Amino acid sequence: MIETKNNLSVKLSVTILMLLAGLFMIVPFLWMISTSFQTPSEVFRQWLPSRLDWSSHQRIWTGSYNFLPYYLNSIKIAVIGTAGAVLLSALAAYGFARTEFKGRNTLFMVYLSMMMIPPQVVFVPKFIMFNWLHIYNTHWALILPAMFSIFGVFMLRQFFLSIPKEITESAFLDGAGHFRIFFKLVLPLAKPALATFAIIDFSWQWNDYENALVFLQSPKLYTIPLGLQNFVLENNVDYNGMMAASSAAIIPMILVFLLGQKYIIQGVSSSAVKG
Amino acid sequence: MKRKSWIQKQGWIGYVFILPNMLGILAFFILPALFSFGMMFTDYQFANPNWKFTGMDNISRMFGDEQFYASIKYTVIFLLSVPVSLAIAFLVALVLNRSVYLKGLLRGMFFLPYISSGVAVAFVWMLLFQPSQGPINEVLRLIGIVSPPGWFADSDSAMYAIDVVQIWFMLGYNMIIYLAALQEISTEQLEAARIDGASSATITWKIVWPLVSPTTFMLLITGLIMTVKSFSLIQAITGGGPSGSTTILSLFVYKTAFSYYEMGYASTISWFLFAVILVITIIQWVGQKRWVHY
Amino acid sequence: MIRKGWLKVVLITTLAASILGACGSNNNNNNGNAGQNAGTASESQAGEKVKLTMWGAVPAEAGPQEVIDTWNKENPNIQVEYIRYVNDDPGNLKLDTALMTGQDADLFINYTVNLLQKRVDAGVALDLSSKTDYNIDEQMGVDAAQWKIDGKYYGIPTKKNMLFIWFNKNMLDEAGLPVPPVDWTWSDLREYANKLKKDNVYGLLQHDAAFTATIDGTIAGLGVTKPDGTSNFDNDLWKQQLQILHDMMFVDKSTPEYGEQVTSKMPVDTMFLKGEAAMLSAGEFIFRNANNLKDYPHDFKIAFATIPQVTADQKDYKYAGGLGDFLSVNAKSKHQEAAWEFAKWYADGGMLPMASGGRIPSSKSVDNKQAMDLLLKGLEDKYDSESMNKVVFGQFPSFQLNVPKQAIDARKEEYEKYFLNEQDIDTTLKNMAKRHQQYIK
Repeated sequence: MIETKNNLSVKLSVTILMLLAGLFMIVPFLWMISTSFQTPSEVFRQWLPSRLDWSSHQRIWTGSYNFLPYYLNSIKIAVIGTAGAVLLSALAAYGFARTEFKGRNTLFMVYLSMMMIPPQVVFVPKFIMFNWLHIYNTHWALILPAMFSIFGVFMLRQFFLSIPKEITESAFLDGAGHFRIFFKLVLPLAKPALATFAIIDFSWQWNDYENALVFLQSPKLYTIPLGLQNFVLENNVDYNGMMAASSAAIIPMILVFLLGQKYIIQGVSSSAVKG
Repeated sequence: MKRKSWIQKQGWIGYVFILPNMLGILAFFILPALFSFGMMFTDYQFANPNWKFTGMDNISRMFGDEQFYASIKYTVIFLLSVPVSLAIAFLVALVLNRSVYLKGLLRGMFFLPYISSGVAVAFVWMLLFQPSQGPINEVLRLIGIVSPPGWFADSDSAMYAIDVVQIWFMLGYNMIIYLAALQEISTEQLEAARIDGASSATITWKIVWPLVSPTTFMLLITGLIMTVKSFSLIQAITGGGPSGSTTILSLFVYKTAFSYYEMGYASTISWFLFAVILVITIIQWVGQKRWVHY
Repeated sequence: MIRKGWLKVVLITTLAASILGACGSNNNNNNGNAGQNAGTASESQAGEKVKLTMWGAVPAEAGPQEVIDTWNKENPNIQVEYIRYVNDDPGNLKLDTALMTGQDADLFINYTVNLLQKRVDAGVALDLSSKTDYNIDEQMGVDAAQWKIDGKYYGIPTKKNMLFIWFNKNMLDEAGLPVPPVDWTWSDLREYANKLKKDNVYGLLQHDAAFTATIDGTIAGLGVTKPDGTSNFDNDLWKQQLQILHDMMFVDKSTPEYGEQVTSKMPVDTMFLKGEAAMLSAGEFIFRNANNLKDYPHDFKIAFATIPQVTADQKDYKYAGGLGDFLSVNAKSKHQEAAWEFAKWYADGGMLPMASGGRIPSSKSVDNKQAMDLLLKGLEDKYDSESMNKVVFGQFPSFQLNVPKQAIDARKEEYEKYFLNEQDIDTTLKNMAKRHQQYIK
């Protein structure tokens, strides 16, 4: 009894310690919220607004600043892109982790090396290609490339590798094919990894500024990061509007995190399978 | 033997799994990369239709460019953040996996920086590192350091301040991937060790750490690659300054390509960067047998 | 069995291929038809309805929207759409990418000669030499010629650029100081700043955009290179100006230290309008906030002075500004004639609604008074009219600096070291010249 009590108090103090650390992590987030409620002359001059000014939150949904179309475009791109990336990466990762074929390791090295090319120097060939494919200035110019994630292949490969070989092997001996093993066995086991990759990939696509900037031309196709540029005025920045819009933009990200988080926790119970 | 046979029997099936992904990688990564490799030997300026082959000019220009050498130095300092962030993230993930209440909330708090607005992150860290009144220097003065560094207002210490921000920024990302890896470890294994009388430290070091080593390996490699490529945080905080002291290689490439439109030269620097990371990655790949347990 | 299996595969494949092919050809047909329809439609309506796209860096609600709304109402056959780009590196890259496709980018505004040069090189800025119905030199004055590239116009400069010192007139009066004359110097300014500074009030604040106004104006007069062709970035006037500024930061403490200003992201315009500084070196863009009494309440009058020269006997000092907002027609546009019509209208007063944001048209066809009324919006009593007429609406010799961006960035890195006390003034000048030299061909 005493020991558990001890454990409890240890757990409680660790929690408090981590909460303090966590508070430090979210200071920029708090500043963002606070600034969105300030008036222009308060920005950078004080931490808290003198009074809650809702006008920035109102104007990002009305008039020329209206964020709704940007929102919908971003959701469309990030959802399709992430779904595609998760599926295609998982397939390839399984290929690299659980099948053997000639040149597998070399091919994987080529994959990895392609992660190392800075995007700025491939944007000209990409632009030429997109123009030729007639997808320049369409959402496909963002969605299509986003569906192919080298990082996803690498990350999922590592997770698939750590699934004990005996499980897949015995299934195979029971007569299951690779696709059956992949869909019925490996994917459910890798839920935490898939959810984690989905969260991270979604956040990348949600915040992708450079590709959207270069490959989208018509304002009606703009995504949120491009919409945020509306607040960059000529020689200064409308920080109130920008932070109001940024606060609104972070909400879907948080929802995705909470949703994915569920699957990460679910993984705990499924781990018993492997014991 | 048995395993070999069933895999060998269906040797082609691996291609089936990889093919859809590979087509995309070929189109959106490999082809553009080859194109940029070609640009390396030209004086191509973006949008300018008049260009010519210049042979090795860009390469010799690069090796004679002082800014190039300076940015290599800054890049190396920047990369120090990768292992540090990994180590901290591993510890945080351990704690948040078991030994706290409010797990969901805490995980969310630690992940939030990774998805926060870059402008907000930049502003808050600038204030924290403010040389005269910032809290960080206040603390340093309290513990007896008379003239603490100027951080973002000093070209000798700016890069280290960036490191701190980067570690803080990457913490949430590394943490959630570690959390996912920790889910794969079965409770029974840990319980058994505990019953055998192993201390928490021993369990962590001897059992948990090896079990997550494939993840650590992946995070290390992708962390190095992504850190070498990333500059948006630096762009938001210092813009590469003061006096160029945070212009890492990727930012240098960015400026050369997007600000000066010198695509040929930018490609050259990129391919140098490529070669270096490739060598590092291959070394790690070969070395992984010593510490990564699949 | 085996043969049957193969047959199946072949059959299915052929079937699939034919279906796909059919779909493909159907699509092609549809596209073809659509294309033809579109073609005939535009032919039959030729000269009737044209859609133009104009790219500029001013936020739409700060004037451009009103401008094109007016045009669209008067010209139902030429409808213009405005796309706003941010005038930074990625923003300009976006514009250049769009210009290359030749679609949806018929007109665009250039903000620096550097970028115009790149667009001329890329062949996307239309050479206006052949246009005989508009005399740019006559309409815009002598300063327009600074925008010529190889002796030719590739667009029309449309507005007056302005940088000046904004004064808190009440503080000036309190200190018993007069509004300075137009030929004042940095030593005078230093003295002013010293007398005007108080606890929590800076003598001088400088906006980023105005930080190099004096050294730029100096080199424009001196020449970017010396007679022997080497860089002139190590001239003595620069040395004097940089030293005075350095002293103001570290000796007088009448202006914020460089590192301090950069690391605290000082919102200089807000601070000036809140009465936390007596002088502000900045451009006409401050008018937007200064006229916004709701968000930036202030009860003092504002007076103006020129950006001072370095020494009283300095020859050929030029004032930052000249003409700006250089409007070009895309040489790849399909509607160049319509675009040209719009461009002329825009320059000769069409752009007036933008005056409320500080953009004063440069064309002589526009009445200054009208622009001024729009600019001041009935807030005349907030400004000192005498100095305003003299400085804001005055005529000064000006310039457009055509130095490679790499050299400008290198110069900044070097003077930053000086203002962070990491390098002395002589080394700074030497390095600036050395690094500039690399880009002189």
